[in-house]
Amino acid sequence: MISRRSFLEGAGAVAGSAAVGGAVWAAVVRDSVNNHAAQLTFGLPTTTSTTTTTTGAPVAAATDRVLVLLELAGGNDALNTLVPIAGSPNGAYHDLRPTLALDDAETIELASTDCALHAALAPIAPLWDESKMAIAAGVGIAGQSRSHFKAMDAWWAGSGAPTQTGWLGRWLDASLDAERNGVDDPLRAIALGGGARALAASNSTATVVRNPSSFQLRTAGQNDADAIIDAFLATSSPLASNPTLASAQQAIPITVDAVNVMSSVIASPDAAVSEEGNQAGSSEVSTLLQAAAGIVELGIGTRVITVGINGFDTHADQLARHSVLWSEVAEGLAGFFARLEASGNRDRVTVLTTSEFGRRAAENGSGGTDHGGGGLQFLFGSDLQSQQIRGALDLSSLRNGDLPVVLETPSVYAAALHWLGDPAHVSASVGEDVETLPFFSRP
Amino acid sequence: MNDLPTTRDEVAFLARRAGWGLAPGELDSWTALGTSAFIDALTQPDAVGIAAEASPWVDFEYVDPAGDNKSRVAMARQVLDSWLGHLASTQRPFENSLAWFWHDHFAVSGQVVNYLPALIDHLDLLREAGTGDFVELIRSVTTDAAMLVFLDGATSTGDAPNENYGRELLELYTVGVDSYTEDDVVAAARALTGWVVRRRDGWAVRYRPARHDDSPQTLLGVSGVHDVDSTVEAACGHQACPGFIATKMARHYLGPVDESVVAELSATFANSGLDIMTLGRAVLETGIAGNGEPQILAPVPWLIHAVKATGADIPVRSRLAMLRNMGQVPGQPPNVGGFPGSSTWLGSSATAARFSSANEISRLTPDDSVALTAAAQREWDELADVCLRPSGFSAATLDALGALSTSASRRPGEAALGVALASPDLVVG
Repeated sequence: MISRRSFLEGAGAVAGSAAVGGAVWAAVVRDSVNNHAAQLTFGLPTTTSTTTTTTGAPVAAATDRVLVLLELAGGNDALNTLVPIAGSPNGAYHDLRPTLALDDAETIELASTDCALHAALAPIAPLWDESKMAIAAGVGIAGQSRSHFKAMDAWWAGSGAPTQTGWLGRWLDASLDAERNGVDDPLRAIALGGGARALAASNSTATVVRNPSSFQLRTAGQNDADAIIDAFLATSSPLASNPTLASAQQAIPITVDAVNVMSSVIASPDAAVSEEGNQAGSSEVSTLLQAAAGIVELGIGTRVITVGINGFDTHADQLARHSVLWSEVAEGLAGFFARLEASGNRDRVTVLTTSEFGRRAAENGSGGTDHGGGGLQFLFGSDLQSQQIRGALDLSSLRNGDLPVVLETPSVYAAALHWLGDPAHVSASVGEDVETLPFFSRP
Repeated sequence: MNDLPTTRDEVAFLARRAGWGLAPGELDSWTALGTSAFIDALTQPDAVGIAAEASPWVDFEYVDPAGDNKSRVAMARQVLDSWLGHLASTQRPFENSLAWFWHDHFAVSGQVVNYLPALIDHLDLLREAGTGDFVELIRSVTTDAAMLVFLDGATSTGDAPNENYGRELLELYTVGVDSYTEDDVVAAARALTGWVVRRRDGWAVRYRPARHDDSPQTLLGVSGVHDVDSTVEAACGHQACPGFIATKMARHYLGPVDESVVAELSATFANSGLDIMTLGRAVLETGIAGNGEPQILAPVPWLIHAVKATGADIPVRSRLAMLRNMGQVPGQPPNVGGFPGSSTWLGSSATAARFSSANEISRLTPDDSVALTAAAQREWDELADVCLRPSGFSAATLDALGALSTSASRRPGEAALGVALASPDLVVG
């Protein structure tokens, strides 16, 4: 019978380092989580610490910075998220949105600005006063489409030109040598619920977990679960010559590792999910962000986490829907930072939000807004300059009824990547000529 | 290129891509009859004497849940169960496969269209109109109650048009994102105003001329006062439409294919006057001719294939939980673009859920199942054949099955059958 150890040795000879690197990581994770010496059977010496692997790749310490990309898919309505409260824009805002415009009681004023946040953002509004929130307004990609899919492509690529790789994927590739001696590790970038397209890379594999709460390897009461999982792993090696079959094979060790990681960061997978959905009081975004916090705390060298949720395509009935969406996001983020604060990891993390476009300045006849132009990005973290909104939602120069794009998204990406790692790796992601917006006080 | 050396391989290929799999013995029968007989049965079931089938939901009785969420969920479960049961038992699998293709294409979600009779009417429309005239299909969907609610046509008025449906009609349903302008989106939205859904009247669709925008518009180069018919004609008559639909259908059934193959399919579709079954047959025939690539199976076809191969009897709750965990629930496409691309099904969530589902399916497989017997007797070639891989398992899977101790199973063959179902071989269609 094939053991996991012999599987890994076999895979190492044929499949290259990708699968092995990942599976070795699982052993490290398991050890640090469960402290079961008997489980150290993945070709590791029993004295293994969490500082090196058998491949010699340096293991990131739990001091590494982590960028969390939070995707609000569907096109978040910028104008009802960051609301003009003073001067002429305010009058235009109410004229354009007779039923959707928020009044003072429905917003939270942002100190030293002429803007306010939608009241649903109350749980995270204090971050503004603590200088832990910054905003890019009127942000987008030059010439971006009003099509969801074309606009998303541009946001993921980080450019208007078509590309097979995502902006985070190119950063993972560029930093692979310096950070990991060139050894791929699928746990370095983890997508939770969505956002995986930004992680597409040439030499770096990402782990994609759609729903961490139902993420398990079950063997339906058979006699020997380990033997069955071993056999499942064994179907991945030797790699077939056909690339489609090979890609299906390579998914297996990545999955087994990811299950090991996630089982340690999700408290009780069985309790967390029922057929009807998540338990009351726990929104999807909250569940995903809690899993992200768990991964950060685990200190397994994850550098990038994407979290994706849907629902921002508010063509109709926007007042109620937008409010619920942002309540869930704000509560999720508040809980995320509270947990990281308690575990001493808060300063390691920056959250950057994305959404493929802003919405039309004027409301439509359905109590909603159609696809538009310039949008919003939030940054949340401990190293931000105080109280800054860069760019603007400029109602005085609408283009075809859309807010203009006054800030390029890649220049926001560049700021986040400067904070995340070696500045030398930024241009590989966003290009040579992109300005880095000075959002951070401690780059 | 697919390597299809024998008739058996060709039949198995068609059954995997277009036929929702085959039950044990059926591969023998169809192989004896030959590939062209199988294509005829798939694409012209009436002509070869296959009986018409009732709607999967013919026995569904809607009871107003009146705020009772449990009863609402139970009815939704029943609708999905009828659908999955029909896919596993239909004698007209390609017609149902095309309906599934259109479900992915139009992506109407029961989470938005929160009224089951309207969702069922929509799905029946895809079954009934999904094999004939494409123009008629688009016309019917455009004024279908579920679609009018799904993409907000029902609240779009001449005074304040809602662009949601107008945009997706052009971008996703007929011509593709590079073939229209923003002005066309506005023109389409204005042209399609005036339709309402009377929710208190069983979601009856009505046309209210007073809500329609009668101002002249230019839509895809056609000027005048537009209505539904002229809008649908302009979109379906656009030169990009046949190629857009042919490309999408070819990718759905065959994976990436050469541009020259798409051009041929597009010409066939255009010359037929946009007849869907003509295009469907041409797609299958070019697949048999070796065009196309191995494909990652989405969770729904993977599950139906496994159910047919094993004969497993899976309770409705388990079936739906499997599909939810694998990430593809019928009636619930995640967004207006439909179900995600095939790489999603190799993500870790889908891979883990497929493994867990495979083991559960094996546990629920009856003792006399041909697949379970083959697994218990370690007849791997026989097991692969029942699973529609007549050329056998890959070397890796053969080694893995061979190394799996019989003592791992609670019942002889159960563990091996689970591993086989989850293996890369059966994920690749």
